[in-house]
This record gives sequence, C-alpha cells and structure tokens, in this order.
Amino acid sequence: MAEYIVKENALKDFFKALTEGGKRRFLAPAEVSGKLQMIETDPEKVSLDFGNTHQSPKSAFFPQTEKLMAFHKDTAKSDPFVYKPLGLDETAPMVLFGLRPCDARGLVVCDRVFQNNRFTDPYWKSKYESAVKIGLACHDPRPACFCTAVGGSPFGEAGLDAIAFVRDGGLALKTLSAEGGEFLKGLSGLESAEIGAELAEKKQAAEAGMPGPLDQSKVAGAAVMEIYNQPHWKDTADRCLNCGTCTFVCPTCHCFDIQDEQNEKGGLRMRNWDTCMSWLYTVHGTGHNPRPTKTERMRQRFMHKLKYIPMKQDGACGCIGCGRCVTLCPVNIDIREVARQMNG
Amino acid sequence: MTSLPDLNQKIQSAAKRLLAEGKAEVVIGCRQGTTPMTVAPIFCRTEDDCNQLIWSNFAKINLATYLPKYPGKVAIIAKGCDARSAVGQVVEKQIERENLYIVGVACGGLVDVEQIQAREPRPIRAAEEDWATIKLSGDGWSSSLPKEDVLRRNCKTCVSRTPEGVADELIGEPTEALPADDYADLKALAGQSLEEKMAYFKGLVKNCLRCYACRNACPLCYCPVCFVDETRPQWLGKSQDEMDTFTFHLLRAFHCSGRCTSCGGCEAACPMDIKLREFNRLLDEEVQKDWNYLPGLSWDQTPPLTTYRPDDEADFIK
Amino acid sequence: MHNPYLPYPVRISSLRIETEDKNLRTFKFEFLNPADEDKFAYLPGQFAELSIPGQGEIPIGIASSPTEKGFVMFTVNRVGQVSSYLHNMKVGDVMGIRGPLGHPYPLDKLEGKNIVIIAGGFAVTTLRSTIVWMIQPENRPKYGKITFIYGARTPGLLCFKDDWSEWQKRADIDVHVTIDREAPGWDGLVGFVPTVTKNVCPPPENTAAIICGPPVMIKFTQPVLEEAGYSHDDIIMSLENRMKCGLGICGRCNVGPEYVCKDGPVFTLSQLNQLPREY
Repeated sequence: MAEYIVKENALKDFFKALTEGGKRRFLAPAEVSGKLQMIETDPEKVSLDFGNTHQSPKSAFFPQTEKLMAFHKDTAKSDPFVYKPLGLDETAPMVLFGLRPCDARGLVVCDRVFQNNRFTDPYWKSKYESAVKIGLACHDPRPACFCTAVGGSPFGEAGLDAIAFVRDGGLALKTLSAEGGEFLKGLSGLESAEIGAELAEKKQAAEAGMPGPLDQSKVAGAAVMEIYNQPHWKDTADRCLNCGTCTFVCPTCHCFDIQDEQNEKGGLRMRNWDTCMSWLYTVHGTGHNPRPTKTERMRQRFMHKLKYIPMKQDGACGCIGCGRCVTLCPVNIDIREVARQMNG
Repeated sequence: MTSLPDLNQKIQSAAKRLLAEGKAEVVIGCRQGTTPMTVAPIFCRTEDDCNQLIWSNFAKINLATYLPKYPGKVAIIAKGCDARSAVGQVVEKQIERENLYIVGVACGGLVDVEQIQAREPRPIRAAEEDWATIKLSGDGWSSSLPKEDVLRRNCKTCVSRTPEGVADELIGEPTEALPADDYADLKALAGQSLEEKMAYFKGLVKNCLRCYACRNACPLCYCPVCFVDETRPQWLGKSQDEMDTFTFHLLRAFHCSGRCTSCGGCEAACPMDIKLREFNRLLDEEVQKDWNYLPGLSWDQTPPLTTYRPDDEADFIK
Repeated sequence: MHNPYLPYPVRISSLRIETEDKNLRTFKFEFLNPADEDKFAYLPGQFAELSIPGQGEIPIGIASSPTEKGFVMFTVNRVGQVSSYLHNMKVGDVMGIRGPLGHPYPLDKLEGKNIVIIAGGFAVTTLRSTIVWMIQPENRPKYGKITFIYGARTPGLLCFKDDWSEWQKRADIDVHVTIDREAPGWDGLVGFVPTVTKNVCPPPENTAAIICGPPVMIKFTQPVLEEAGYSHDDIIMSLENRMKCGLGICGRCNVGPEYVCKDGPVFTLSQLNQLPREY
C-alpha cells in the first residue's frame, strides 16, 4: 500500500498521466448539460468540489443503451454468422477518478449480479475489470446521504483501487489494491507522503455527522413471506407514482430490456435500462401479469434492495445509501423509512 | 393573510369532518417530507392521518394524478391547478363527480427547489416556510429568501391560484390571479427557422432518461397502457435514440394539448430538470387563441380537441 | 470469454402444426456449425431463448431429449410478436438459439424413485423430453414405476400424439391420456387431469410427481396429490415468467430472491411455498 500527495499545481498533470498517454479513457465528475456527471472528460474540467454526481456512475460500465450484437436480416441465407457481437474488443480501458465511496460499493453489488454464480456478462466484465477506479472521499456528506447507515463510510474503500481526499493545497491518495498500486507507481504529479493520520482524522470528522447503522436484523432473520405480507406496503404504494425515477438514478439498479432494431439490411440487438416500476416489465405474452398493480411493483424494488440482495450476496445490503432516490422521488418515498417499516 | 399553521389547522379540521360525515373514504393531501424542502402526499383514512396534513410551498406533484385510479369516494386538498385537473378528469369521464369532493385551498404559488439550491449551494439541513419567506439553515449558517424570488415558473403566470367556482369548499383567503402567460419567449421562437426551432426543442430533451416520470406524475396521463408501452405494434424504440425520445415528448404534448392546467407536476417530477412545459405551453397558446378555452374551469365544457361535431366550422376536421 | 448473449445459428429443419387450433407449432432446428450441438449440451427441463433477428427472443422449454441427436425441438404457442413471426417462418430459414438455460429436472435426485408425470395442454413439452430420456435403455433402470397423466380440452389439442401412442404400447410406462369432454372418434379416457390423477397416481411412498400445466389444472391437482400423501418436497414444478437475458441479470423473472431463468425454472412445491406467487 502506497501513500501519495498531489500538489494543486500538479493536479492537471496527474489527471493527464492517469490516461497513460491516451491509452485509457479518463472519466471524472464534470459538468454536462448543467448537471455534474461521471463522464469521459478533459482532465482540465474535473470538479473536486461536489456532493455527488447527479446520476450514479453505473452508466460507465452499463450504459443506458448498449449495442450487444449486429445481425443481417435475410433469414433464408445460410450464413453461419447471423449474429456478430459488438463492443467487446474495440473500447479502450477506463480510469475513473472521483468515484464516491458509496457508488464504488454500488458497482460491487452490480458486479455480483453481472458475474453471478452461473453466468458472466462479457459486456460488463470487459469494462469493469479493466478499469482503474480511484475514489474521492466525502468531507461534507449531503442531507440525504446515509452510507454509514448501510455499512459504508464517506471514506469507504470497497470496490476501489485507490482512494483520494481533498486537502489544503491539493489531494492525498492511498492505494488499496495491487492493481491500483502498480498503476499509480511513478505517475507524474505524485509525491510519496505519509497521509495515514490525516486520513483517519478526516474520516472521523466526516462520519461524525452521519447517521448510525439502520437496524435490519429483523428483516435479515425473517422469512421472505413475512416481510412480503407486511401491511405497510399498501400505504407506501398509495402515493407511489410508479415513475421509475428511483430505479434510473440508483447505483445498484441494473435491470435491462433487450430490443432489436432493424432497417432493410439488418439491425442491432441492444439492451436498454428497464425499470421494475413498469407494468410492461413483467407482463406475460398471454396478458397475465404477475405484478399487476403498483403495490407489487413498488414492493419488489424494496424487497430486492433490502431482502433479496442481502440473501444472495452474503448479507450485503442492496442499497448503498447515496440518497439519490430520496432526493429525486417526486412523492418523497424514502428508502430509510421503508427499511424501518420492514424491520418494524 | 392566513398564517400557515392556521391554514394547516383548517385543512386538518375539514379532512376530519369529511371522513366523519362519510363524504369521503379517503382525503388526499400533503404531509411534511422526510428531508428538508420535501412534502409527501398522504392518503388520510384516520384522524391521526388528518393531523399530519399541511399546506406547503414545497408541494411537488399534482394530487389529482391519484384520482382516476382511486375507486371510492375521495376528497382532495386542492390548490387551483389540482382542482382544475380534477375537474378535467370529471369532464373527460375518468372520475365521477359524486365520488369527488374538492377542498379548495387558496395558493400563493409553489417554490422551485432547484432555484433555491442554485442560490444556496451549501448543504441545506433544514428549511422553514411561511406564506412569503423560505428560511434555510445548514452547518453553522442560516439565511432566508423571499418566496417570490424562487417561485416555480408555472406559478408565475397562474390564472387560477384560488380554485373558486369549482371547489366544494374553500379554505384560506382567495389569492389574486396573476397576469396570464404572454408566451413572449415562444412567440420569439416562432420567428425562427424550422431548423432553429427543431434544435431548440430537441435541445430541451437531450438529457431525457425516458423514465417517464413526467407521464406518471401527470393528471392527464391516465391511459391504461401508454403508447410508449404498446408492444403490438411497438410504436417507439426503447433506446436513447434522439428521434424516439423526441417523438415521445411531442406526442405526449399533443395528447395533452388544450387539457394541460400548467400545474408543473411534470417538471417537478423530472429527475433531469427538463423544461417539459415548453412543449405544452406552445400548444396551450394555440388552443387559447383558436378556441378561447382554458381547461378545468367549468364542469360542462369539454376540451376543444376532444370534441367532435359533424357541423364543425373548422375544415381540418372533415 | 464466452458470450452467453450470442445465439448459436440454426436452421429450421422441420416443422409441423401440433394442434387443431393451429396455435402450436413444433420446430426442429439443426445447428449450422455442427460443433455448436455439443456446446448446447442440455438435460430435460432446461429451456432456451429462440432468437429471431429483428424480432427478439422468447424463452421456450426444450421438447426434445438430449438422447435425440441431430436436432433440438421446441413446441411454440403463438401469443406474442416473436412467436407469431416464428409461426410464419419456413423450413430452411435461419435464426438463433441461445442456451441451454435454467436447471433441469432433478433427474439424479429422482433415481430409485417412482415417478408420476402430470401434464396439461401444451405445458407437456419438457415432460416429453423427460419421458424420452427416462425410457432410454441406459436410463430406464434408474427409476421405478413411471406413470404419465396427460390431459387437454379436446383430442385435437393433445401434443406429441405419435410419442404417447408409442409409449402406450410399452410395458415400462403407464400412460393415461384424457380429454375434458366426450368427443367423436375418441375412445380414450374422459375427465379432468385432477380426477384422473386421483384414480391412477401411485402411492406416495418413494414417489415424486413432476407437474406442468395451466394454473387451473395445477390448482386442482395439487390438493389431490396432497390428499394422496405426497410431501411438498416430492412435488416438482416448472415456472414461466417474462424473461429477457435468461442469465439471472436483467431482472423481471424473479420470484422472491430466485430468478426463474437462472435458479429455476424447476422448483419443488416446498420451495415455492416460501416465495411470493409472482408467476
């Protein structure tokens, strides 16, 4: 594990060096169309002073629309290559700077879905495993932030190759993984330093104003149907609009739809983000819908985050406490409140 | 002016009375939200529920959105725009007049949290409000803003702040209607080239995620299956294709033309802060110009574009 | 890296109209690349995504048995866009299949047991696969008595007539095919599947039931098996849900924490009792 500082006047050099001379695509928090987002950006335009990016960084690895393969249309042709996979070889690996620790944990939750006990999603894996992920700790968590309530920290290290924090006169960095150590070694702008004490102090200060653990012990111990049949779902569903905003901004929501689009010659098979709030999401070809009303759909999302994912991921919570859904839900459905009701 | 605590008291009493008298099985209103500057819609069925009812400058969506899906007798705590939308739903036969009770509340306009955050970038840990002022505080600081400075755009040109005429009862002192939207900006746009206009409208929705929160928050979007969710045939692609996204917004705006009450619920719900009302405003202006019609102000006037008469004098219909 | 989204190219080698209402067609596919047939190693109870360029994919249970070489077979009900398109395709047309997906019936755990297989309507597909597999000389000795109960509304709605007619002639499988009401030319059993099950199902000792059919059939057959003394661990079912990826990633087909595609589609009734009825 190595520790470094980057002086303010060396920051741009350092960011440029992260691209390894242009071999890596550089993603960092930067403004686009009036919103701060984790996007591919010029090292000159990186923002270091922000609460969190408006949307989660999942789109770097799981774009809202992603081409999976191309095909030609003539089904009478005996071409053994009806389908040609796209996007697996041609993209340069990424380096991400400025991931908030909550979002990095969100990527870990997604990774265990995209690389599950039976299948590996090559579109996710090729991007995720080749990326260097450098976090930026939070000094000033926002009012709706609650990473500490769900096992995280504003200085959390999960899913990151290195973590940085802002200090007077620049940045400090600590490497976390072997890959991160190897990658950062000798990069322009880095100076070796002892930052452990400063990090510990800043971490303590940042965590001080944050909420304590959200008790989910009863949810963890209860049978699925016990939680599923609780009476509070109806009350929350009353006001839920089933709009799906929560799912689109959530760093751990990963559902998608697969669609074909074509013209006269051929076409593309692509995947697009989908949302469990949608009626269409579960409806059978026969018209039967296993989740016919918004109550079932809304319940599915919270059960998935707070019961099903913990069951399948060794107790890890499916919510990482970024607070985006809390802030952006137009009817103030607050996952912390729902979690308390489920545990109640 | 009635103070907010007084107003809340009156709303709560009215709700309790309506439940007790059996005029409604549920009263839909707003309660305090879980974070600063938020409110949550609440479906009141008990006295305890009613005691949580408030009027707030931070209300977001139009509560009439809930009405078409609610089967029984329902009362709604309605600002001018909510009441107009509810009337529109009765006129469009989505809800029964006898199942609806409108508790009208005089409204002084709502505030736009995005504008507040633009003026106050520090993390806001608490917010207090009265009729005219928003008081904000954070870690070791506090400040206040005149509400007029951060009003939602649609509230600045509201012609029906007080739901007079359509409410079953009215709470609060009637607020004066504001000068109607003069559409000056859109009229300026009308002089531009087709390409410029196209670029303007496409630019509006370039951040769109196609989550359809605007649709789900809209009191007019009550279709059992929206055209974007139809699969046989599938009218629209599902990707982030610019044309598909644009088509959704354009078609939705046309579906709503002459029916929109400018409640701003779509913009309040949009997670990407898209100025969705620009599409509707353009069509509202047309409908007002051609038919002198404002939706939701009368129980028996149907929106012009949903009316068909064989002897219609306009020739486009034939 | 294996790409589980990429279908194997196949050619429709034969097709036949399976039922008199013409809503069911049975397709046999041959792999364009012969090596793909080995990669597509499956067992009864698994399914695959039938993949038509430009139309999309549908998850369909595999009706052939891995012991039948040179083709894979699917019987497809015409309900949605993809299945309707497929119904209009011809022998020789090229498309894709992706799989095998899901878990098979627990054929190894069932060894040494009597097996009762109960099917209704076109849900018989993966059960055809199971029976063909079980009655192979190398597999038949692993199981005790095999009972097959199969019902449909009318004789013309029964699938795989050639297969079960052959099985009826065999001594090592007990076949009961029934239709709902008397019909001209039908001299077989008449009555609903639950009633037939009540009359012919073997005693529950050392016996397991595999049951696939429309919800109404399952609703009335399950109590018959319970009354007969079958434990919920010995009642095996296969679920269907809307699916896209088939890999346990895209969401939507989950029933509680389990993905029907990845963790199912085969579940015991004991397992299903712990889960929401979201299927």
